[in-house]
Amino acid sequence: MNDTTETLSVDTADMPPDPTLTAAPTAMKNARETPEEAGPGVIETKNMDVFYGDFKAVADVSMNFAFNEISALIGPSGCGKSTVLRSLNRMNDLIPTARTDGEVLYHGANIYAPGVDPVEIRRRIGMVFQKPNPFPKSIFDNIAWGAKINGFKGSKADMKDLVEGALRQAALWDEVKDKLNESGLSLSGGQQQRLCIARAVATQPDVILMDEPCSALDPIATLRIEELMLELKENYSIIIVTHNMQQAARVSDRTAFFNVELDTKGQRTGYLVEFSPTDQLFTSPKEKATEDYITGRFG
Amino acid sequence: MTADRDVTAAVPEREGTRQHFDETLEQIKQDLVTMGSLVLENVRRAGDAMVESRLDLVEVVREVDDQVDQLYLEAEKLTFETLARQQPVAGDLRFLVAATRILYELERSGDLAYNCVKMLARVDGFPQHPLITPLLEASVTASCKVFAQGIDALADLVPDAGAKLDAADDEVDHMVSELFTVVGRHSFEVGLEVAIALSRVGRFLERIADHAVNIGEHVTYTVTAALPGEGHNATADEDGG
Ligand SMILES: Nc1ncnc2c1ncn2[C@@H]1O[C@H](COP(=O)(O)OP(=O)(O)OP(=O)(O)O)[C@@H](O)[C@H]1O
Ligand SMILES: [Mg+2]
Repeated sequence: MNDTTETLSVDTADMPPDPTLTAAPTAMKNARETPEEAGPGVIETKNMDVFYGDFKAVADVSMNFAFNEISALIGPSGCGKSTVLRSLNRMNDLIPTARTDGEVLYHGANIYAPGVDPVEIRRRIGMVFQKPNPFPKSIFDNIAWGAKINGFKGSKADMKDLVEGALRQAALWDEVKDKLNESGLSLSGGQQQRLCIARAVATQPDVILMDEPCSALDPIATLRIEELMLELKENYSIIIVTHNMQQAARVSDRTAFFNVELDTKGQRTGYLVEFSPTDQLFTSPKEKATEDYITGRFG
Repeated sequence: MTADRDVTAAVPEREGTRQHFDETLEQIKQDLVTMGSLVLENVRRAGDAMVESRLDLVEVVREVDDQVDQLYLEAEKLTFETLARQQPVAGDLRFLVAATRILYELERSGDLAYNCVKMLARVDGFPQHPLITPLLEASVTASCKVFAQGIDALADLVPDAGAKLDAADDEVDHMVSELFTVVGRHSFEVGLEVAIALSRVGRFLERIADHAVNIGEHVTYTVTAALPGEGHNATADEDGG
């Protein structure tokens, strides 16, 4: 699965091997097939429920995220988009009350199976958050540090290559190559977000999750990130949560619409309404609920 | 989604979230129907002019067609503005894209009505002929009937308008081909120039109905997202003038 990151030179040989994840099939590149036709995607959820304590936040989510595609999750506030996203790389483990039922398969292996190391999962399935959150360190260290805690043991020169490669992939290198020792916080919001993408890329994931990555950015910085996503999908599978439907329409290959409903106990539980090719979803959605949401009409 | 889920219960009442937008869409549809009705009226008027050889109506047809063109420009502007400002999707997008096409079909149909009376004026009126005149009248009637059906389908957003109009159009083709035959057979009686003018008029009436069929297809696309199939016809090049 490292065919994607030639510009990086991380030695992964001394990473702890994960027996449940070694049988990874090579990426299927035919992005235009439906996930069903293309066979298992990079991530598949099967009847996934996510709880916070007794509260069922999302119910019965079965989805197939294809290799080298951008999948967008849209839906009203509180329908569980972030919850679903965090369940895909066990980020929800960090919330003590959170529990995920059902299966989440990554390259066919259940990431919630006993013995799976969540840290390794998060290395392979990276995440970029809504608010750019660089470490209060130099631009160089923002990337180097993440790689180090993820087991990077290469030489100094290797590390320089790694940092440069990651910054190039995040389309940031030209803007920062002369000031690698300046603080990551000195960058503009859009640059900080690309730095965070570079940091995610540096751990050699093959999936990148993004939770509203542009909501704090101006329109031009937003378009730059979108361009970057389109470049990155050559080598990565991307799953993005966005409130900006135009953004989903512009960048994604497939769009999932989630809605929220009251259950018998009066709880608001999110569920998947429709996961369709984006061109189809925005011109002729299958479900009326999708049409009502994307055209701004409810009720 | 399962049937026992009550989606509406969880979604706050948000009717009227896009009231202004809805009004604009309704306005555009109204403009199309108004424009279509004007064109239909003008095709009938052109038909009367030809059947009764009333050259006084030629100028009226021209004036009404100017009104049609004016409406076209206004409706087109509103449609493009709405596309640009509202970034419509799904059914709204399909309607607005269809509207731009329907506008074109209506505008062309209007021109064809005027072309009919131009032919009439060119030969200084059509002579009454016991076989040709009734067939000309029947062709006008058939074409108007299909066109009216197209406008109704638009007003009511009839889902299978495309197929229905396509079937109705056969009658026009039949009438016009009869007209061609009879005009050809009796050209020596009315004179070659008139015979040619009548043939062209027959062609125009046929094209007007074809535009109505296209309107039906655009309506079907709006409602069902089905793209027009093979039968799509009446292009600008073929309309002549
Ligand atoms: N840490 C948490 N503890 C308890 N409940 C939570 C937690 N995080 C989210 N929830 C609840 O889970 C449900 C889904 O929340 P989530 O943040 O996934 O929705 P979302 O679709 O991402 O919303 P938004 O669009 O506002 O970001 C909500 O009812 C929310 O209150
Ligand atoms: Mg969220």
